[in-house]
Amino acid sequence: MARLVVETRALTKTFGVTPVLREVGIQIHDGRCALLIGGNGSGKSTLLRILAGLSQPTSGDAIVFGENSRNLNVAGRRRIGMLTHQSWLYPNLTARENLAFYAELYGLADQNDLATKWIESVRLGASANDRVREFSRGMEQRLSIARAMMTEPDLLLLDEPFAALDPDAVAIVGDLIRTAVARGCAALLTAHSQLDLGIEMDRYQIASGRVMPLRDETRAPHRSRMGA
Amino acid sequence: MAAFAAILRKDLRLEIRSGQSTIALFALSLLIMVVLVFALNPQPVDRARDAAAALWVALVFAGMLGATRAMIAENENGCMRALTLSPIDPAALYAAKLAAAFAFMAIVEVAAVVLITLFFNLDFGGDLARLTPSLMLGTLGFAALATLLAAISSRTRAGDLLLPILAIPLFIPAIIAGVKASEAALSGFPLAAASQWLGILVAFDVLFVTLGALLFEHVIRED
Repeated sequence: MARLVVETRALTKTFGVTPVLREVGIQIHDGRCALLIGGNGSGKSTLLRILAGLSQPTSGDAIVFGENSRNLNVAGRRRIGMLTHQSWLYPNLTARENLAFYAELYGLADQNDLATKWIESVRLGASANDRVREFSRGMEQRLSIARAMMTEPDLLLLDEPFAALDPDAVAIVGDLIRTAVARGCAALLTAHSQLDLGIEMDRYQIASGRVMPLRDETRAPHRSRMGA
Repeated sequence: MAAFAAILRKDLRLEIRSGQSTIALFALSLLIMVVLVFALNPQPVDRARDAAAALWVALVFAGMLGATRAMIAENENGCMRALTLSPIDPAALYAAKLAAAFAFMAIVEVAAVVLITLFFNLDFGGDLARLTPSLMLGTLGFAALATLLAAISSRTRAGDLLLPILAIPLFIPAIIAGVKASEAALSGFPLAAASQWLGILVAFDVLFVTLGALLFEHVIRED
């Protein structure tokens, strides 16, 4: 039986007097992938930050692994992998040093080998010893995705994971997400428009802070297939 | 402990690679010494007092710069959020940032002590060794305070301006104690003569380190 990984109840967030999220209610089970579609400033990133416990809701609750995200403990935080618009990478460290640092932070064994494996998985092997400062936007995005997935999290929060990626990289990242979901990881992706990963996805639209489920007939007619 | 070591090692590696903080701190200390030597024109009778004051002025400004630099590295590319989400105790994160700031300041202080010896015409010897307790205690206290306040100020638009406004008033009692203890050491008095001032520095160290460890989690958390 699928376990509930994420549940929000009447989740509301305001910045000053400006509402960003209004009474949001979504559920994500393990082994499921959810897609949140919305325009710039629609509140997608804010929702992801709240689920990760990095930001606090104004009212309502975000329950992650059965705990309120306001008080996510160490064990809960360890199970989350997150990608944001910022790469969370140190520009003056090499790709390998960055991933090895995060591996050590998460208490993973064989940090250098693990870093190498994940760098290879996003096809950055030739740049493993280059500083991130020298990376293109797309290379940095790929390395950041490797950083988020390296810990084999049970919940993936990926904010526009396909942004700035070329078609080959889109296929690679699509594969990684499918693999993670297949092993039971719950994933919440955001995007500006519909996308198809070749797996069943729960689709939501966010507009004016309200999140509505999208039914098949409401899907946009033009969908791009991501690396399937 | 592994996370503490990982963060400290990463900070030191970044600093060794760029050298930005250490070079800037050394240059700042040098400029402070030059200005104060010309302004004070120290006479033999006041030499220990003036040198102690110059040393602590350098320590305070170098400390603010060092703590700010250590925090800027975390805010670049949003890395502080990654650390906040990672499974490490915020107190361990604070301790690692504090240790890095302490290390940067200590390196600069060694250079600053050499500079005051030259600029204030002091003797290399036992008096300088007796400076160690007051300088180490002062560095620990100021690094503890500045690390906490830098985490606050780095999230505001006028952070560079905010840090000295917040830090210096809070640290004034410790600065007074530090200057007095350093003056006693440079005047050739035994350590026992400065014990009351060193006691004040220890008390401030305990206060600032404890406050930092308790409050850091709330400071780095977003609204």
